[in-house]
Amino acid sequence: MIVFVTPALLMYAAFTAYPVIRTFWNSVHIIRPGGRTEFVGLDHYVELFANDDIFFRAVTNTLTWAGVAPLIDVGVGLLLALCLYARVPFARIFRVAWFTPVLISYVVVAILWMWIYNYDWGVANMLLRSVGLEDWQQTWIGHPDTALWSLIFAHAWKWAGFNMVVCLAAIHALPREVLEAAELDNCGWFHKLVFIIVPMIRPTLVNLLILAFIGKMRVFDLVWIMTGGGPMWSTETVSTYVYKRAFEWNTFDLGYPSTVAAIWFIVVLCCVLGLTWLFRQRDRLEY
Amino acid sequence: MRQARSWMAAAALAGATLTGAAVPAQAERELTLWSHWADHETKVAFVEKAARELESRHADVTVKITWYQKNPLYAALQSALRAGQGPDIFYLDPDRTEYIDNGLLLALDDLVNWDNVYGWARSAWQHDGKTWGFPLEASTVEWYYNRDLLAQLGYEVGPPHYQLSQTDFQALVEKATSEGVTPIVQGVGDRPYPGAYVTHELLLKKLGTDDYGKLLNGGLSFKDPRVMEVFGYVEGLVKAGAYPKSFSTLKLGESHYYFHTRPGGVVFPIGSWYTSRAFNPPDKGGQPEDFPLGMMNGPAMDGGACNACKTNNVAGSFVVNAGTANPDLAGEFLNILATPEYGNLWLSTVLVQTGIKADTSTITGPYRDYFKTLEAVNESAEYFFGTPLQFFKGKCRETFEQVMNTGFPAGLVDSETATDMMNDGCFTG
Amino acid sequence: MRDTLSTRFLGRTVLLAILALYTCYSAGPFLWIASMSLRTTSEISANAYALPETLHWEKYIEAWTGSNYGTYFWNSTIVVVSAVLALTIIGAMAAHCLARYRFPGNRVVLFVIFSTLIFPPQITIISLFQSLVEYRLYDTLLGLTLVYIAIQLPLTVYILEGFFARIPQDLYDAAKVDGYSHWEIFWKITMPVGMPAIATTVILNFINLWNEFLYAVVLITDESNRTLPLGVQKFMGDQLEDIGMISTGLMIAIVPVIVVYAFFSEKLIQGMTAGAVK
Repeated sequence: MIVFVTPALLMYAAFTAYPVIRTFWNSVHIIRPGGRTEFVGLDHYVELFANDDIFFRAVTNTLTWAGVAPLIDVGVGLLLALCLYARVPFARIFRVAWFTPVLISYVVVAILWMWIYNYDWGVANMLLRSVGLEDWQQTWIGHPDTALWSLIFAHAWKWAGFNMVVCLAAIHALPREVLEAAELDNCGWFHKLVFIIVPMIRPTLVNLLILAFIGKMRVFDLVWIMTGGGPMWSTETVSTYVYKRAFEWNTFDLGYPSTVAAIWFIVVLCCVLGLTWLFRQRDRLEY
Repeated sequence: MRQARSWMAAAALAGATLTGAAVPAQAERELTLWSHWADHETKVAFVEKAARELESRHADVTVKITWYQKNPLYAALQSALRAGQGPDIFYLDPDRTEYIDNGLLLALDDLVNWDNVYGWARSAWQHDGKTWGFPLEASTVEWYYNRDLLAQLGYEVGPPHYQLSQTDFQALVEKATSEGVTPIVQGVGDRPYPGAYVTHELLLKKLGTDDYGKLLNGGLSFKDPRVMEVFGYVEGLVKAGAYPKSFSTLKLGESHYYFHTRPGGVVFPIGSWYTSRAFNPPDKGGQPEDFPLGMMNGPAMDGGACNACKTNNVAGSFVVNAGTANPDLAGEFLNILATPEYGNLWLSTVLVQTGIKADTSTITGPYRDYFKTLEAVNESAEYFFGTPLQFFKGKCRETFEQVMNTGFPAGLVDSETATDMMNDGCFTG
Repeated sequence: MRDTLSTRFLGRTVLLAILALYTCYSAGPFLWIASMSLRTTSEISANAYALPETLHWEKYIEAWTGSNYGTYFWNSTIVVVSAVLALTIIGAMAAHCLARYRFPGNRVVLFVIFSTLIFPPQITIISLFQSLVEYRLYDTLLGLTLVYIAIQLPLTVYILEGFFARIPQDLYDAAKVDGYSHWEIFWKITMPVGMPAIATTVILNFINLWNEFLYAVVLITDESNRTLPLGVQKFMGDQLEDIGMISTGLMIAIVPVIVVYAFFSEKLIQGMTAGAVK
């Protein structure tokens, strides 16, 4: 019966475990084309911590994104799910319309939102002009103050629907009596949400938050196509930085970007262990 | 169990299809070429003609050309070559010297007939005593302008220098802004260099070729008073609203359209390969038929060491993969290009300078006047060979892209910060 | 009483208005692209928001024939279908084993597989590239398929294991009494009973892989091996932003996914409701 798990383990070993180990091996070498590899010890690590401002910009941006976006995504998703649960008319149409962005590839999302943010004829500035707020017009993804937030917004557009569906499923799975009891107690809408629904679907929400967090830590496609990390590194994320240094910079070295990846591996590991621990603690306190 | 077998069969079938698809169809001998210029029709026609000629000489040879946009091309090249694959011949700009440093190119000294190539063009590709690239395209940095708009604003340029003074140019920028016209069209949405044209051309005029060379090689500080003066001047232009509002996201192709069609602008500093986009038909992104195109030189700097100086560089070139199985065929292909016949064909169809020896008097037809103007503007020019990107590496290059190309001209950092950052990235002396 | 009724009614109206607004925000962009996909670029640059006057359906034909869309589509289909097929079988086998058999190291294997779920791809992308070059799988569809199997495997196993573990033990006991082999138990009990979860993973894997970009951009270079997301990116020329044509290209990429979703949306929702994603 061990046969059942063998193919999965083989795939895992060849395409996941081995590359992870190799990343660490890479991180202490300079690796150039034609098999020219040179051992440099911890030089890359020293360089990274001592001199690499761009890396820290990338980390800050990624963590900002991973910290803020899950709250937006899950919050909006939960509210949308509650609306549908409240039995509004046209619920089916709403559900399809809200979920569709989830299905669309980032490449398409990126091109679409580049147009929406276009200075001259994009939707964002067009709306501002039409309500007489010309002064608020921006080159949304072209200015460091707005670029990152514009990307976060576009990203949230894609993901709110997914969170909505999962929340909806979780709410539907709640025991009916509890909600009905709340109804009888003449609980306000807000109270019902905060004191009954949210605590009861908390495991789902926590899962969604963690999923969203993981998703933001890896964000690449959207940034790469929309801004390439610019302007002035204001949207640089760790993934775009790794990709840039490995496959675009004219240093042609795979070692240093592997160092970035290795450090990031450790950061992500800590974040996830920390989060899990945090939520476990709270569980213990409450139950 | 039956179900299991049919699943397995399906999987096996899928596997078979996959491996089948992975094996490329092989002709007797195939010469592969990857090139930028996917939508530059005249260049595509030029290269395809040479390819067909090579095929007509050898019955067993096919030339397979893949046309790319520049950024995806570089992305594909960097990973394919590192994997020990990649095409036999590919497009490369001379600033990509890392390909030479990493031994990915084949030296062309013995493969190409260099008698038909200009020495200055060949030298752009000479490193360590060898020649690594075939300089197909050459260009100077030109300041194109809209003649009607310039006249409306009350300015004109003319022989011998086709140049405004520093003060006049600043006044022109201010006047244009006050009348709601974009003074200098430029967009950096998909290229790492156009935003730096103005600053770097003016730096060259102020410093002269020697000191400008030192600046690019890290031997002169960006805090040098002359450098600071130029940065201050450009900062003034930026503050006066010289560039389009959409500067940082405007793409190269869009900036052409912005300049000649909608909404329009006064000056457009760009490589003289302007023509390879602008002389397409208007529905393919070219300029309107009756567009009043003019050319000037960048403004003369007060106390400039060399106000006739401008950047000249070899641009699009072909290089040969060090791992090619067909070096002779590749050489033969390049030698088809290295003839006066092809040089003239390039000039008269592509309308950009070339490293192949050619005769501008062979140009006839509607664009003859354009070439006359180009020659007139360059008559007294002194050239500095090479763009900043040809000199800058690693972090310095990244700083150039983010600061000189985007941040500084977009008004996101002032001249103090910009020069600090450039020194931090590039200054070694 | 009347008061509460009218406030209720008011509340409903406000709620509906907000929902309609949100719907404009989430679906509006699609309608915008759809309308642009039927207009020419010069029409669009005159007014980006007008409705199509004449429907330029021929642009779809032009977009399809003028690019290598046929190839991209075929490549995406081969890669994604084989990967999803393999994922379903390999993943279900592993999940079945982990959920139904006790062996030493069982939980460790599950934890290790699960922990890769959290790791962003940028961590291994470089060494994966190196490895594929060594395995001689770089720039081949087979290589990309294997990588796709590997990256989606953790999620698949995670979802399926959770579901399989909750299948009543009675079914298995009965099967043993009837003398079923391990294989038969897997194919005749776990797979059919686990269908809702399997359907969910199939749909999730399909959507994720169909849209995958990072691995494709690093691991595929040859024109004839490109998948759809790379093809879409290629549509953005740098000569001229041919907005009308790009919109058409985008629509061609969007429609199949929406069609697949339209057919399977109920299954997906059911699967999720059945606790597949929890």
